[in-house]
Amino acid sequence: MTTPLWELVNICKAFPGVRANDGISIRLNAGEIHALLGENGCGKSTLIKILSGVHQPDNGEIRLNGVPLTLGSPIDARTKGVATVFQEFSLAPTLSVAENIFLGRYPRRGPFVDWARMQAEAERILASLEIRIDPRRLVGSLSVAEQQLVEIAKAISVEATLLILDEPTTALGAHEILVLHNLLRRMKSRGVAVLYISHRLDEVVELVDTATILKDGRVASTAEATRLDIPSIVTAMIGTSVDEHYPKEQNATNEVLIEVEGLWSAAGARGASFSVQRGEVFGLGGVIGSGRTEIARAVFGADKITGGRVRVAGRKLRLRSPRDAIAAGIALVPENRKFDGLFFNFNGGPNITSAAIGSIRRLFLLNKSEEARITTNYIRDLEISPAAATKFVNLLSGGNQQKIVIARWLFAQSQVLILDEPTQGIDIGAKIAVYRLINQLTARGCAVILISSDHAELIAMSDRIGIVRGGAVVETRPASQITHAHLVQASASAATAA
Amino acid sequence: MTQPSAFKRLAGQEFFGPFLALLIISLFVALTTPSFLDPQNFRNIALQVSILSIVAIGSTIVIITGGIDLSPGSMIAFLTMCLAVFIKNQGMDLGPAIALTLLIGCALGIGNGILVAYVGIPAFIVTLAGLSAFKGLALTLNGGTPAFSLSEQLGQVFYGTFLGLPLPFFYVIGSYLLFMVIMEHTRLGREIYAVGGNENAARLSGINVARVRLIAFSFAGACAAFGAVLLAARLNSGSPNYGANIELQAIAAAVVGGASLAGGRGRVVSSLIGSLIIVVVQNGLNLNAVTTSMQSLTIGLIILIAVGLDVWRARLGRGLARLTGQRTA
Repeated sequence: MTTPLWELVNICKAFPGVRANDGISIRLNAGEIHALLGENGCGKSTLIKILSGVHQPDNGEIRLNGVPLTLGSPIDARTKGVATVFQEFSLAPTLSVAENIFLGRYPRRGPFVDWARMQAEAERILASLEIRIDPRRLVGSLSVAEQQLVEIAKAISVEATLLILDEPTTALGAHEILVLHNLLRRMKSRGVAVLYISHRLDEVVELVDTATILKDGRVASTAEATRLDIPSIVTAMIGTSVDEHYPKEQNATNEVLIEVEGLWSAAGARGASFSVQRGEVFGLGGVIGSGRTEIARAVFGADKITGGRVRVAGRKLRLRSPRDAIAAGIALVPENRKFDGLFFNFNGGPNITSAAIGSIRRLFLLNKSEEARITTNYIRDLEISPAAATKFVNLLSGGNQQKIVIARWLFAQSQVLILDEPTQGIDIGAKIAVYRLINQLTARGCAVILISSDHAELIAMSDRIGIVRGGAVVETRPASQITHAHLVQASASAATAA
Repeated sequence: MTQPSAFKRLAGQEFFGPFLALLIISLFVALTTPSFLDPQNFRNIALQVSILSIVAIGSTIVIITGGIDLSPGSMIAFLTMCLAVFIKNQGMDLGPAIALTLLIGCALGIGNGILVAYVGIPAFIVTLAGLSAFKGLALTLNGGTPAFSLSEQLGQVFYGTFLGLPLPFFYVIGSYLLFMVIMEHTRLGREIYAVGGNENAARLSGINVARVRLIAFSFAGACAAFGAVLLAARLNSGSPNYGANIELQAIAAAVVGGASLAGGRGRVVSSLIGSLIIVVVQNGLNLNAVTTSMQSLTIGLIILIAVGLDVWRARLGRGLARLTGQRTA
């Protein structure tokens, strides 16, 4: 076997509570477009960040032409020939296209910027990519698709031997995708190694030469083994041992607890309707950006509601703020627990009691010994690390943090729990603990609304699933009638339609 | 597990660092300046610290919510003038005049709070505007000139004694006890810390964030008003120039005492220690006939050092946590 241009050997990288990359090896050949596939949280992003110098691997080697090297920082990686186009744009909106392309390395004449040369160079680069954008325009005035093209132009304006693109087509229309693909084929013919990440399997099989599939931080299918057709890719992404760790209990009753009717919100719920019974888990499936989180926030009163109705136990609610929702027994475990969930200036106790602090008062004073007792109980029942009682919650693992946020709503005695990506970024043991908690809640007669991008989890833990597209529930089916492939395909078609 | 010793428990408290700093600074001043230990000087320090430490309570609470209050200095100027006008020009009795002054202080604080919490203007801007506007209001009263010799009895409010101890001692102890209980042992206090710690999470926990911010500013107004009454009583006068720069000293006291300007961290009792540090340093410089300009410079340096230590300590803490693997506990 010939030496590949770039090679990753046995890359390992762990974060608190999760092994993001666990012995990943990939060979990237010159003149080859290589797809990196896998579900959310499979370790793709971490691997890209290691290759582009953002993270350092705990273990393993990166080799260029067979010679091991270190990519100590993004600048270091760039000078060694790795160009990366990240999902999040790194453009300065108030600068021109040309300035953005040459950001940090403006051409100079003596001490001054050589504007004429910068302009001419930018025009040359854009023309070579067949991108028709005036380099004098401000980036902020461009459409998202145009910005994406500028981002790519910026990345390849410096000689690169490895070009990494992370979901480059999410914002692009059909024609722009065609332009991009042609561009990538030209890069390939110039002998560049291209690493291409996308959720859109239809365009992946169209474009790439080979594909590596990751699952749970490991290689699930090597480039040699992967067959480039959608069904086999989906199978490899799902894995073989899907439902063994889902301890699903059937607790659904016939009594409807929450009814959402034509709910609109300023933030992006667009006529969402569904109902959930006591003891039932209602899953919301759909791609990122389909409006699942927006529907959840509207039901919780966190975003301004512009139309529609929410009823809990037959009573119509007036949801002006989360306070109203909490009073009606609704709870939200937010997608981003660091940003929206936890108080890092508190230890576990006050984090647990924050939504029902009024119930541990003795006259005007907080009953702190009662709070400590409650905390101890939740630590025991939910198997939270005992450190939670005394340490600030930023010192706890993601799984422990998530349990604390869930404990908050157990303590508030909520009846309807909305769990938005409750197992994101936590390890498998903590995930199973969260599933058991869901069972406990439904056994108690609570209704659970589960949002998850982990399709296997969504199918296994839900009783019924609603597919969300454009801020509304477009299709509802029993979970038993929905397959993983169905969800992936529904997501793909949603993306194509967008 | 063994019970931690009393010393270890004390050392674990957030205010232990500032307390240690206060002891070291006092020791240094005492060794270099013998007149520091003079009982009369102690009395001076106590009187001086009483007003600052009460104003600093309000500043600390606003800082804990993640805000900042630049207005107490000018508010105090305006309120001493109000009190002077009530007593001298309107001929009001002392009690009602003081009560009305305190009420106006609360109202101004509420005004700040409404603009910050409900209108949504950043606290820095609102209170910077207040810094200018309240000074302007003070100058509209009594033709913009100070009013002296307000009342025979007013001085007693500050210089009077109870059980042989000066009254300001009781004001300070009383205010601190009240606000320590509010901040540490009530739902409101918990909500103030929650809003400062993570506003999003507070809102999603059903806390009325705007109301909490409003209350914090009204506390700041009340504390400034109390300080204004004490200052007017101490000097038996009102002046548009009183209170100048006290807002910076109060913020410094809070920060030196360990409050984080990012919000969510800090203790009310620490601002008393912070106030003492600032007053002791000033006193030491005074006793050594250091010029006012050098004093300002020194206070500036103290703030930088205190915040620098805080940043450094946070970094050190993270490093230690990594080493001992506490993060994934």
